[in-house]
Amino acid sequence: MRSCLSAVCRYEFRMQIRKRSLWISTIGLAALITVAQGDRGPRHLPAGTDAAVVMGSWALLFSMLLPIGFGMVLADRLVRDHRIGIASLLAGLPARTGALVAGKYAGSVAATAVPGLLVLCVAAAGEFVHRGDPALFGWAFAAFAVVLLPGLAFVAAFALVCPLVISAPLFRVLFAGYWFWGNMLGPDYLPSLTGTLLTPIGDYPASWLIGERALYAGEPGWLSFLRPEPGGGAALLSVALLIALAALPLAFAGPLTARRTSS
Amino acid sequence: MSLWRYEARRAGWPACLAAPASLLATLALAAGSAGFGAPPPSVHGVLLSGVEALVPLAAAMAAVTVVSVDRCRELQLALPARYPGTLARRLGIVAGSGAALAVLLTAVLRLTGSWTGPRSALASVLVWASPLLGLTGLALLVAVLGRSVVLATTTVAVVWLCEQLFAPVLAATAWSRPFFLFLTSRAGVADGWGTNRAVLAACGVLFIATALLLLRRPERLLTEEEA
Repeated sequence: MRSCLSAVCRYEFRMQIRKRSLWISTIGLAALITVAQGDRGPRHLPAGTDAAVVMGSWALLFSMLLPIGFGMVLADRLVRDHRIGIASLLAGLPARTGALVAGKYAGSVAATAVPGLLVLCVAAAGEFVHRGDPALFGWAFAAFAVVLLPGLAFVAAFALVCPLVISAPLFRVLFAGYWFWGNMLGPDYLPSLTGTLLTPIGDYPASWLIGERALYAGEPGWLSFLRPEPGGGAALLSVALLIALAALPLAFAGPLTARRTSS
Repeated sequence: MSLWRYEARRAGWPACLAAPASLLATLALAAGSAGFGAPPPSVHGVLLSGVEALVPLAAAMAAVTVVSVDRCRELQLALPARYPGTLARRLGIVAGSGAALAVLLTAVLRLTGSWTGPRSALASVLVWASPLLGLTGLALLVAVLGRSVVLATTTVAVVWLCEQLFAPVLAATAWSRPFFLFLTSRAGVADGWGTNRAVLAACGVLFIATALLLLRRPERLLTEEEA
């Protein structure tokens, strides 16, 4: 079971990491948000600002747009197996559907995480040039782990499984709309998930790193029980909730894949 | 008629359902706002945003699907019928269904007094038609140029998202105002609204014309696997 999971994970990782569109979209989106960040962005933080604050701000900035590209890339991973006719071949392997799905998920998350981490490391290197603080690199990894990675794990789970039900094109439309509504639309304008523990943009972990409210974390609004004051505990809870929620669609992936293969 | 029915089937149900899904999402958001006690002007604003922002987004994503996901492209290219014509019929069905639904919703909103857009009926059409043309044209051009679903859908999603995120700056800056997709719902029918609608429509026409020029060699759409 374990060797099968690891084998599927490895081949999925290798396939994804070589995908040109993953690299082009990540580099394009990172460049765009870096240029468009405005004077409130991390580039304009005063000299002497703590490395955790600097890298937390960069991680949140990238987290606004990068998952859009990751979601678009991953939206056809399971659907594609049926489209190009290898789903039946995979079903004939001596591996359970659950292991195949888990391996594909882990491989996809790992492959999309690599460009995300590299982009953050490049930002740390850029900041190091004029701040000269080596701790920036350590905080780049920490910020990636708590801000970008849980959101990526959340997005990847839904991007892999939802297209099996609603098709990849429809998922992409709804995902773009959801990303704005559920992450960046102020909770005072509309009832939305923005500012709750369930925002995959990483608002709570970024607020914890920065030491103040990063975007809307904890602002009064819809589902008030999911809007505690930002802090270390709330950040940890947000990460745990996002990972737990990511497991939900994955639980349905096996039966959905098996149904499509048999039909 | 049977040709159009065939093309609708070839465009695929996800592409045909994108516009109805966007309107359903709009109605659900408006109902949610009303249910949570938002004042009527806010609810009307949500409905206007749906017409101006969500319908064009759905049409653009559907256009990418129509262009990029054709499993019989080799067969189509071997037929005497010109492929750009086939694509145009399919895109027409997708854009037409979005347009019909947008007209219907606009009419209902006007009749019920929930419309906060321009008063003239013709100008009301421009609320959704100009961004639809602009965004769908961009989607078509990137899909033809890049031959990648991911690249085209990411471009559309990012342009849409960035225009939402930086709406106050884009609406207030002189050079970006004519290109701002959501001027009606974000800034109202103010100075420069007509210019903005005209520029967006012209950009859309320009993008579509460029894509059609590129499609004079439709074999450029052939690719081994989606990149």
